[in-house]
Amino acid sequence: MNTPSLKGIRVIAFTWVWAGPWMGGVLADMGAEVIKIETRQRLDSQRVVKITKNLEQGPNQGQFNVTNRGIKSVTLNLKTPKGLEIIKQLVKISDVIITNFAPRALPGWGLGYDTLKEIKPDIILVTLPAFGSTGPDKDYLSYGSTLEAVGGLSSSFGYPGEVPVISGPYPSDPIGSMYGLVGVLAALNYRNRTGKGQHVDIAQNEGVTSLIPEVIMEEVMNGRTVPRMGNRDEIMAPHGCYPCKGHDKWVAIAVGTDEKWKALCRVMGNPDWAKDEKFSDQYARWQNQDELNKLIAGWTKGFTHYEVMQKLQKVGIAAGPSFNIEELVNDPHVKNRGIFIEQNHPVAGKTIVYRSPWKSALTAKNPPAPCLGENNIYVFKELLGISDKEIAELIETKVIY
Amino acid sequence: MFYKVLNGVKIIEYGNFISAPFCAKILADLGAEVIKIEDPCCGDESRLQAPFMQDIPGLENSGLFQYLNMNKLGVTLNPETATGMKILGELLKSADVFVENNSPKKMKKLKLSYTQVKKIKPRIIMTSITPFGQTGPYRDYASCELVSAHIGGVGYISMREGDISKEPIKLPAHLFSFQAGLSAAVATLSSIFRQSTTGLGEQLDVSEQESVIQNLNSSIARYSYAGQIMARTDAAGHAPFHILPCKDGFICAAFVEEAEWRRFVEVMGHPEWADNELFKDFASRAKYWDALKPLMIEWAMQFTEEEIYRRSQEKAVPLGAVRSAHQVLQDKQMAARQFFVEIERGSAGKLIFPGVPYRFSEIQMESPMAAPLLGQHNEEIYCGRLGYHKRDLAKFKEAGAI
Repeated sequence: MNTPSLKGIRVIAFTWVWAGPWMGGVLADMGAEVIKIETRQRLDSQRVVKITKNLEQGPNQGQFNVTNRGIKSVTLNLKTPKGLEIIKQLVKISDVIITNFAPRALPGWGLGYDTLKEIKPDIILVTLPAFGSTGPDKDYLSYGSTLEAVGGLSSSFGYPGEVPVISGPYPSDPIGSMYGLVGVLAALNYRNRTGKGQHVDIAQNEGVTSLIPEVIMEEVMNGRTVPRMGNRDEIMAPHGCYPCKGHDKWVAIAVGTDEKWKALCRVMGNPDWAKDEKFSDQYARWQNQDELNKLIAGWTKGFTHYEVMQKLQKVGIAAGPSFNIEELVNDPHVKNRGIFIEQNHPVAGKTIVYRSPWKSALTAKNPPAPCLGENNIYVFKELLGISDKEIAELIETKVIY
Repeated sequence: MFYKVLNGVKIIEYGNFISAPFCAKILADLGAEVIKIEDPCCGDESRLQAPFMQDIPGLENSGLFQYLNMNKLGVTLNPETATGMKILGELLKSADVFVENNSPKKMKKLKLSYTQVKKIKPRIIMTSITPFGQTGPYRDYASCELVSAHIGGVGYISMREGDISKEPIKLPAHLFSFQAGLSAAVATLSSIFRQSTTGLGEQLDVSEQESVIQNLNSSIARYSYAGQIMARTDAAGHAPFHILPCKDGFICAAFVEEAEWRRFVEVMGHPEWADNELFKDFASRAKYWDALKPLMIEWAMQFTEEEIYRRSQEKAVPLGAVRSAHQVLQDKQMAARQFFVEIERGSAGKLIFPGVPYRFSEIQMESPMAAPLLGQHNEEIYCGRLGYHKRDLAKFKEAGAI
């Protein structure tokens, strides 16, 4: 009954950095067997990251372990004829291939979609390049921040009246992952119905643009650029982040109606300033939000962010702390939901990862992220039937490398 | 629809604003039939959310609503009336998926919790998207995209070189509500795959806060391994990783590999900077950023962002132009891939919208359908599908059920 949705689906992953690996991590949660193809010739840059308090310790793979949890790893040099032959055998017994490498990488090894289709007629190939695999800029290079710039997100990001800035968390990466997964799952559904495979090509920059239609449609409908607004809203006020007791502690508060405004005033003890005509209706508050924000900050400063959240949520006002990672991991609600999972990684030790952002009774139980080539024997011997002797030779000749 | 992938999959959306409507939009774009249920009075609240065509607010004039609800059928229905509830039950009986983003409290009151919906349609997939999920102490807390962004931990690290005396900010528009809807669509698609082979449904409990958490990859790794708490001032040790002004706008010069910097100094016509001891690596360039920054700006101010973007990319430097919506709409790469689509909206005329970022090799892309007018498909669904008479519809309407 509780078999994970993708039990029995095998995925080959040519992934690195973030957008590709997080696709693999989510597919593993869905019960797919995800096999990441790696090589010492060029490692996933996240493998060699060293995030540790103990300076003696070598690379512990840092965020590699967060996104790649639950998958398998093999080492294979695709630039050797034998390596290519082996990967083709693996393609024969797989359902899906995912990659966030540049569009020329797979065809460069002789693994373009047409070839893959000859090997396995109903194979699903999902490519996730920065700008798509077609068009004049298909070979352009990008990190998350470049995508946010070119996709139209960065120009609207920053404090009101100030210059645009680079975002800290690069959401374009996990947005790319999720669109990549839409591609994988749509194609699997299509294959179920028709028996046909598919090449699904996803342009990550288009993914970014598709998530900010307000910005695009303001230009289309009114020929206007949406200004940088920080925490501000089109019409709500107060709608911001206010200082609280302690060092760098903040609470976000949003008030959308007159009724909620009155409730906020009551919680603040109905101060005289709140009765001013300048704040008497939503438009007036929105127009005078600079002043309003200072006055509200004067009140929030007297409390912890948790206290403000509790006081306001009691009367139905949207409010919550701007959590740092430590507060987030230890928050009672977050703990109760179990989004963060503590794993024991054989090399890196205690590792906190997060599951897919939903609860499903069907989520698979998965091991920590693999060490480099951890599953070589399973894949080459058990799945592909290569003998121990031959495996030893392949290691010797740096095919398994 | 854009692609005929999910033909025959029937979805009921009882959603409002962004997260659930966007989840259902993605499924509708892929060819599922989505019947959207809206409040008979004024419909989905995004109908009254900017931007409006020519700045004229009106139920059929919001760019946000029209984007979020293209390719759907729309009916009005009030499940808070007994008749409305009965009709919803009939709709659910023939549905495969139920997508909603109402508060758990409201759904329980309406007898629409998963346990109760399962009684109407045992094998349904029910995707609920709420700020904090269906369980846990905050499940009934009020929220909005601003609060989700901050309580999900992204606000605190929203930029790389922020000023700690200023408040943390969120990303533009309603990015994280969209991301939650996108994540919910992924979860739903995996469940539709399982349903199509096993016939089984399930409950998918999607939390907008958790969807924000998926952006915290490096934050959690640093906390986990070094006990380090990232803030919005932490990335100052790496340069260039900056947005800088140029002649007509801004460029985003964010590099990760030393080779990229070495190629970029060639692009800037200053190969000697590669040998300058002060600028020898990312850490040193960050240390002497006050010296380097004006030099880079002086160079950049001579050129347009398009010039710098093209020149850099031609030399394999992953630099980006900071594009406004106006420039994005004119992007040749997106045009070559036919990303933007024109949608005919009846008497309201044609309008350009962002399309979808995926292309299928074996399926032809089709023209999308405009979002429904409020109650546009009442007759088609209630009379055509459920067998009611037009007379009944009039009475339902008078009674406030539709």
